[in-house]
Order: sequence, then structure tokens, then C-alpha cells
Amino acid sequence: MFRKVLIANRGEIAVRIIRGCRELGINSVAIYSEADAESVHVRAADEAVCVGPASSSQSYLNIDAIIAAATSVNAEAIHPGYGFLAENADFARAVTAAGLTFIGPSADAMDLMGSKTSARRVAVEAGVPIVPGTVEEITSFEEARKTAEKFGYPVMLKAAAGGGGKGMRLVTSSDELNSSFTAAQAEAAAAFGEAAVYLEKAVERPRHIEIQIFADTHGNVVHLGERECSIQRRHQKVIEECPSPIDDPDLRQRMGDAAVKIGQTVNYTGAGTIEFLLSDTTRDFYFLEMNTRLQVEHPVTELVTGFDLVREQFRVAAGEPLSFTQDDVRWVGHAIECRIYAEDPANNFFPSPGTITYLREPSGPGVRVDSGVANLSEVSIHYDPMIAKLAVWGRTRDEAIERLRRALDEYQVAGITTTLPFFREVARDEEFVAGKLDTGFIARFNERRVEVEPPPEQNDLAMIAAALHYSRYEQPVFVQGGAQVSDGRWKMAGRTAGLRRWRKS
Amino acid sequence: MKLKAIVDDQEHELNVKIEGDRVNAEIDGRVYELELREPEPGSYLFLRDAAVHECRVSKAHETFHVNLHGRNYAVTIVDPKRLRSGQGAHGHHHGLAEITAPMPGKVVRVLIETGDKVEKGAGLVVVEAMKMQNEMKSPRVGVVVSINVKPGDTVNAGDVLAVVE
Repeated sequence: MFRKVLIANRGEIAVRIIRGCRELGINSVAIYSEADAESVHVRAADEAVCVGPASSSQSYLNIDAIIAAATSVNAEAIHPGYGFLAENADFARAVTAAGLTFIGPSADAMDLMGSKTSARRVAVEAGVPIVPGTVEEITSFEEARKTAEKFGYPVMLKAAAGGGGKGMRLVTSSDELNSSFTAAQAEAAAAFGEAAVYLEKAVERPRHIEIQIFADTHGNVVHLGERECSIQRRHQKVIEECPSPIDDPDLRQRMGDAAVKIGQTVNYTGAGTIEFLLSDTTRDFYFLEMNTRLQVEHPVTELVTGFDLVREQFRVAAGEPLSFTQDDVRWVGHAIECRIYAEDPANNFFPSPGTITYLREPSGPGVRVDSGVANLSEVSIHYDPMIAKLAVWGRTRDEAIERLRRALDEYQVAGITTTLPFFREVARDEEFVAGKLDTGFIARFNERRVEVEPPPEQNDLAMIAAALHYSRYEQPVFVQGGAQVSDGRWKMAGRTAGLRRWRKS
Repeated sequence: MKLKAIVDDQEHELNVKIEGDRVNAEIDGRVYELELREPEPGSYLFLRDAAVHECRVSKAHETFHVNLHGRNYAVTIVDPKRLRSGQGAHGHHHGLAEITAPMPGKVVRVLIETGDKVEKGAGLVVVEAMKMQNEMKSPRVGVVVSINVKPGDTVNAGDVLAVVE
């Protein structure tokens, strides 16, 4: 096993990996930008090295600086986390060239699965169904028109180099195709530096279901079941669960086998996720893409299977076999994760950076919080606005939902706007509770949601609390002679009381 | 202590008396007798007929944010005493709403002109930040009294974009 590992990431995932290091007795090295010197992941690590200024292109994406940092502290391996350089094959090659171990798949496998068009070719080779669409990129509008007519509308235009929903467009009729084609090309060029797009038949009421796979260097490839990730905004997941509310063992077996087949086809090693679209009406599934790294939502799989995916990543990277076989994998109970973003759900999920002035994270039975922030943490405009993940486990989906509601109500964050109020509503939504999920969930939810009025008494109590806070900290006090002191009477009373307490002890 | 509290554009008359651990409050004629504890700064723990209500209060941009039973309330407090003595609550005159930029960004469009009548929720200025366009909306019905930006301007968090009266 490794003696020292550098974590080329920040925030909650860096903290998660550092926890794995501690359990295995590995020394952890954090990297940080100048803006992150006081951040939680630095405080959690054994060692920390500054790799550049706040802008991620100069720090967390700076390959030379990160490898120099690893060499300077004699780290043996680099864990990339997710995002940043996690799916950058050049980074994996540079790590290997520097004589270090990259904790992830081979650069060749990353190359193969990184482009959506070559990944689709791999799926076809493995005998896994793909959404009817073009394997090659489409270069002219005429070609797009012919292909769209062949598949029938609606169709989806996608960037070949894509991810995160950029360059992705739904086209419902031939009238829209011309403008959408030009726009998708422009968006793809702006986001990924290449304008290549391809076209797919759009699956109706699609569920986004992915299979976690794990492979070691001894030829073992296993799957850890599915995660349902249908609740998305801007094509990014916000709530994930394991298993899917469909909970169909036969479907799980078939999707799991397909995912393992893809892993074997590309000689995959480490943790990987195969994403599928599943038609809610026909239960047909289609390969979508592969993520060649640990996923944000890996905790739900850990809660239900009991395996520690980061620990297995370290084992596989160190050349050891997986600690379990396919027959050892059992799915017990149900887990749900909410991604807590510094975003305003009432304003189209617009980012809401700032300083966290108060933080109380939930705990108790079946609750897991993977957090990258603490009291007084600064949520910066430079990085992803996800501050933490709340995951809950219950014996049944209903029990998990009850825990989720309770944990969300315990969760308090002040100073920034978060997606917590949105999750509190979703966790009580009829369609969510019924497990009727597809990628159109949030759009429909926003249509039907009615703001639930709090009991009038609570409105009044909130006003009384605000008034007390005002009197405590802001109300001016006039003393004789008309001079004004800035401290409120309550503040002074509090100080006196505080002093009394000190004297007593 | 007599104050006005504004929640969701609704104004309420507050009369709060504090005697030791007891709070007697009257809001628009509704009477509350509460036992008060303060376990830490910003935390107000009310006991009302044995029912526990913990309020977490923090202040940002002249608004008190109260979290109670998993719900957030934005409360504006107006102190008539302060207004009389010329100590306006940091320019927060009742009826005047400043629309501020939530974060650094660039003004893409200005959708209104000075003197325009606007509804609550009407789009005023579109600001682009973090690759997203965000329409800043009017928090109330009123008239646009000033616009401080034009398309192409770079703005910082907290900059006043427009004022609605």
C-alpha cells in the first residue's frame, strides 16, 4: 500500500479521500489555491502545498504545478477525485511519466471512453444497445436533416466532446433543426474547443440510471448495482438514489452485465460508471456515456453495499486484487443523496457565493454528510458551488425518505442561499415519494409546486426573534447627555451575564 | 419596544416586552407569552406552552434571516424611533427597494427605463456571471427611480443596479 498520496482536488471530495487515507494509514497531501489556504480540505490533510492563484486554470488544473508539488513532498501516487483533472488523459500520462501512480484507469481507457463518439463505438462492439443515433459526428445541416428524419422527431443534438449538458439541445420539429444545429455547434466550440456534434433519437420520459463498476489489474470486473440520477437541473444531477425506485433485480442484472462487458472491452481498471438512459415506458436501456472516475454520488452505493469505494481505489492502484467478488455484492436497504449547492432554487438555481455565517449539519441514525465547508467558510465564485452532500440510509425507500426530511430540517446554513429549501419540498412531493422519476422531474415539479404556507404562529415567532436580534445587537442606547453608544442593551446585559458565568466557574 | 416588521411585503405592528426570561409580544393584536433562552449568539429558544421553537437569526444586507423549523423567513425591521431621530436604518427607507448584483458579473441587458412602472417580479436588469444569465427582478410594485448601469458594465457583488420606489 502507498505511504503518501497527493489529492489533486479541493472541497468535500478531497476531504472524503483524505478520510480514506487516514483509515489506511496513508499520509495525505492536499493541494490548494491561494484562495483556499484556510479551507476545510487543507485543515484535514497531513501536508498541504499551494499550487497557484485562485483561478482553477492556474491552480487545480495546473498539471506542472501539481506534479511538482507531488514530487517535492515525495508522494507516491495522485488521486484526482472528480472534476478538474480527473478525466484528463494527458494528466494521467504526465503523472505516470513523473514516476508516480495515477489512481484511476489507464490513459488509453480514458481516451477511448472520453469522447462520446468513440465511447459509443465501444458500446456497439460490446453488444450494448445505444440510443439510435449517429456514431460519427455530423458536419452539415443537410446531413442532420436527413438523419433526424430517419430517426423521427424528437431528436437530441449533442457535443461530441461534451459533458455537463453543454452543447446539448432537444429538437422537437424540423422547423427548429437549423437554428438548433448552428447553436449546438457554437456552444460545443465555446465550451470544449471543438464544434463536433452528433445526433440521437430522444428517449421519452427517460430515467437516468447508471451502473457502478470496479475492475482490478488481476482481471476481475464487477458491478455494484445502479444509481438513479433522474432528478437533474441544467442536465446536472441534484438527487441520486440507490437502488432505483424501480428496484427490478432482473433489470439490474442485465444492466450490470452490459456495464461489465464495456469495462472488459476497454481493459478498464479502478472505479468507473456507465450511464444509461432507461425508457420509463418500455424499460429499454441505452448506453449514454462512461465516467472514468469516482462519481459525486458514490456514497449512496457505499451505504447500500457497505463497500468503501475510495479504499478499493487505493487497493487496485497499488496492484492488489479487489477485496470482494461479484457474489459478495449485496444490496441492503435504500440510500438517497442530495447535493447541497450554494445556489438559489427560487431564482433558476443561480449561484449564491458568500461567507457561511452559521452552519449546523445533521447527524443521527442513517445520516451521512460529506462536507467541504465549515463555519465562516467562504464559498468562492471561482469553484463549483456544491458545498456538501447529504446522504441518508433506511431499510426501505419510505424509511429513507422519512430520514431525509428529518435530516434536511436539521440542516442549517446561514449567510448564503442553498438548495436546502428546494430539497425539503421535493422530499414531501407526491411524485417523488411515488418514485415517478425521469429527467423532466424538476420542470414538472416547478409547474405543480404550490408554496406551503407555514402556520401563522411560526411567522409571528420569526418576527419576534428578528426583533430580539435587532434589540440585542443594533438598537441604539441613549445615555444621559444625549451621547449614543453603539452597543445594544441586550448586548451589554449579555456581557454582564457572561462575566458572571466566568466568575462562577 | 415598538417596531414594524416586514415579511413578504406585508407590514406588521410589533410590540415586544422583555422581562428576564419572559417575552410578552403583541403582533397585529395577537398576543404571545413566551419563555426565552439564548443558548448561543443568534439563537433564540422560545418555549410556548411547553412547545419548543428554536429561531436562528443572522443578518445580511439589512434583512434578518430567521430559520425556524427548517424554514427560512426574511424579516425587515423598521424602528420608528430611529427614523424620527434621523437615524435611518442605513438608508433602508420603507418603500424604496435597491436591486443589487448578487455577485461580480457583467450587465447584458437593461429591460427598463427610469420612470417605468413595474410589477412585483418584473425583470429589470440581466447580469451574466459564472457563465449564466440572471434576470434581476423587482421585489415590489413601483416606479423605477434610477438605473445605475448600462449593458457591458462590469459590476461587483452588492453594487446597486437600479432603485424601485
